[in-house]
Amino acid sequence: MTGLGTVGAFGCGRQALEAALRSARPALSLVDRSLYHRTGGARRAALACRNLAGWVPPAEARRMSAPSRLAVAAARMALEDAGLGRGWTSPGRPPAETAVVVSTAFGPSSCTEGLLQQIFLDSPESASPFLFTESVANAPAAQIAIATRARGAGITLSQREAGPLLAVGSGAAEIALGRSRRALAGSVEEITPLLHAVLDRFGALARPRGLAEEEQEEVARPFDRRRDGFLAGEGATVLVLEEVGEARRRGARALARVAAWGSAFDSTAAPTGWGEGAAGLAGALVRCLERAGLRPGDVDLIVSGASGSREGDRLEALTLHAAWGEAPLPPVLAPKGVTGEYGGGFLAAALLAVQGVPFGPTAGFAEPDPELRLFPHGGGPLPTPRNTLVTSLAAGGAAAWLVLARPEAA
Amino acid sequence: MSEAQATPARIKRLIVSSLNLDGMRPEMIDDHAPLFGEGLGLDSVDALELVVALEKEFGIKIKSQEIGREVFSSVASLSQYIESRN
Amino acid sequence: MGRMPTTSDSRRVVVTGVGAVCGFGWGVEPLETGLRAGATALLPFSRFDHSRHRTHLAAQVPEPPSGVAASFPAWRRLTQADRFALFAAAEAVSQAGLAAPLGPAAGVFFGSSTGGMFETELFYRELARKGGRPRLSALASQPVSGPGDAVGRHLQVAGPVRTISSACSSATLALGAALDAIRAGEVEVAIAGGSDSLCQLTYAGFNSLRAVAEGPCRPFREGRDGMSIGEGAAVFVLEPLALALQRGALPLAELAGAGSCCDAHHMTAPDPAGEGAAAAVEAALADAGVAAGRVDFVNAHGTGTPLNDAAEWRALERVFGPRGRLLPLTATKGAVGHLLGSAGAIEALATLLCLRAGEVHPTPGDGPVDPALPLALVTGRPLPLRAEVAVSVNLAFGGSNAALVLSRFPAPADRAA
Repeated sequence: MTGLGTVGAFGCGRQALEAALRSARPALSLVDRSLYHRTGGARRAALACRNLAGWVPPAEARRMSAPSRLAVAAARMALEDAGLGRGWTSPGRPPAETAVVVSTAFGPSSCTEGLLQQIFLDSPESASPFLFTESVANAPAAQIAIATRARGAGITLSQREAGPLLAVGSGAAEIALGRSRRALAGSVEEITPLLHAVLDRFGALARPRGLAEEEQEEVARPFDRRRDGFLAGEGATVLVLEEVGEARRRGARALARVAAWGSAFDSTAAPTGWGEGAAGLAGALVRCLERAGLRPGDVDLIVSGASGSREGDRLEALTLHAAWGEAPLPPVLAPKGVTGEYGGGFLAAALLAVQGVPFGPTAGFAEPDPELRLFPHGGGPLPTPRNTLVTSLAAGGAAAWLVLARPEAA
Repeated sequence: MSEAQATPARIKRLIVSSLNLDGMRPEMIDDHAPLFGEGLGLDSVDALELVVALEKEFGIKIKSQEIGREVFSSVASLSQYIESRN
Repeated sequence: MGRMPTTSDSRRVVVTGVGAVCGFGWGVEPLETGLRAGATALLPFSRFDHSRHRTHLAAQVPEPPSGVAASFPAWRRLTQADRFALFAAAEAVSQAGLAAPLGPAAGVFFGSSTGGMFETELFYRELARKGGRPRLSALASQPVSGPGDAVGRHLQVAGPVRTISSACSSATLALGAALDAIRAGEVEVAIAGGSDSLCQLTYAGFNSLRAVAEGPCRPFREGRDGMSIGEGAAVFVLEPLALALQRGALPLAELAGAGSCCDAHHMTAPDPAGEGAAAAVEAALADAGVAAGRVDFVNAHGTGTPLNDAAEWRALERVFGPRGRLLPLTATKGAVGHLLGSAGAIEALATLLCLRAGEVHPTPGDGPVDPALPLALVTGRPLPLRAEVAVSVNLAFGGSNAALVLSRFPAPADRAA
């Protein structure tokens, strides 16, 4: 990994994310639920900073949906961070060397909703061509490819919460198989009021509880006994992946090395929930570590995709314990209390953790859950990890993991 | 104000609003300036977006074969086309 | 069958089962019968009220035969796209002689562009209806990973499960991902394919682009004027050749290679020079270790729009040179419509059926081939052709092009052994 671009509720760029993680405070905004208020009670989400004019000039932005703008901004940020300018800028046709792999759970939601409103509330003939072309799940990836002139494979994955890590694994595979020299891999999400209402209706979101001052806002509490859901997050995160030798030859500064990737499925999960298959998932997790030449005991740090979801965090804890057996877990970071779920913010946080960026205490966690026996990081310095496991478990049953290693000394 | 003046102005307002040309004032669009390729630099999807807006605004149905280069070459030619439909 | 695997088999991946659902019916047999007859399933349809849409044809999947619903738990709660996917997957797995639980050595690689969107639209229909009661729960079906996950659950898969949603090349890319996963040893059985159902979003959407023909689409013909939309699913069971032979399975064909490449040109218009599409085909051929000169026929993306077919023809010219004009070319979209996220799978399946039958199915409809695109389009009746190698191409909205190379099994080298 040689470049990182990220946009979210915390702002634009890695410094903004670092500050948010250190302070352990999510930046929440009110979602206008006036049309869909009769459910849940969740009122806020981690809505992304939309001030992207520096990365996406108005002439280009005119024809892009919000997710496309977020994705292109993050991609350009990542390329610049990697010392590659903002993409292929020499004249002539770019070589087909850069793959684009993007994940999204719900696609460009406002375009889809806008189009459906036109079709059903007005008439099918009033459907907007612009909304349609931007409503397809692969629009952000296509826009990245056009904006950065990336002509390798262009893939959009949709696997809910497991999307970001699957995208990185897929991008890494393109390089490992020699099909691309470089990959732009990441995730993008847009949270609309309707999407927020649906998630709330299914009890997925954290809700404001109690009368106590600190409970007036929704708080996502990863692994906490009182957890009741996650914070819906939107934004985009894109990483530049390059083959190790290639990066070295051009003198690139490596942020981390992708040592292994893996995924599995828990078929006991309901379509919108998590299942009971911790044992099977643990086996797959251990096999993923083996592909990096590691055993659980070699992992120095876990960056967990736990989000505050009752069932999701439970399955995550059970899976980790099953994989580690009797041995104690290494320190566990759970950044989704700050970044929210979706948009890949936690993937960016994982990359920062690998570089030894200090994290504050785990936002939202205060009371351990005796069933989970998992105590995420309470704040304070951690040694820079050599081997980091990044995890994600999706509603519906998919699971994905990444093993990141500290880059070798030049 | 005659009918002939109203139509170009309406078309220009539609161009700005339906094609997300924020920051552009409708009066800035010249009646005879090319809309596609050079000039405003609109493309095929912009043309189709404009068609949907025109159909709604003027209550007409524009057939696919009519969405061609000549009719859509400028505000003036579009205006002429729309007037001929009424 | 009964041949001992050799070490050179280790990278080879074969198809041991196939399943399909499309406008011709439920199962591979109605698909094959319809294709051979040069028939079309593009007709006025009833899935939703299209009186206020700009066009009125689609290749709608008919009601399932009796007994199908009963064989899948909770059929009533499944979306259309889920149902197509499950039926096709079950047909394929049964043909392969496998059964659930498929466990950790199996994975699912699926393509879909709209997942359960048709069911999601019921919310909007209620929203629009005076006195309607829109229920937010209808929106639960929106994620396009629905059909792939449903297959994973039904077959009790424990390996990787993922859905690709790259518009018209989704299923092609999914088959490519499955091929990679088997070669990497990540899985021993891959359930790969795609599923999409008709919905008003895509129907109105393509119509807003004025891309839909009023009659059934006529790929590569003179005066063609747009695409046609269909629905359905197709699923492949893929395995390493060595393991398939070891367990006594009968390979139907070999998935020899896959390749993909982006245009990075424009969001809807294909690159008119066809470079990205040509690069995808060349990448697939290189992956298969097959020279362009050995390809016996091509299953084109062939949507029937003036621009797409012209760009695709350019691409084929680049890859095959002058020989490209004589290479038999077929396309399925005039028969079953454009299946969007599952197009790549159903078209790869049509290609496989041609390889096995020793004939290339015709493209339905009449009228001469566009004289600007000289090529050997198969029309009228099936063309007898004992092909060894074929290519299937898909060019996506947004510029993601993908191609597959399928070859007859056993190959000449196997037969000589």
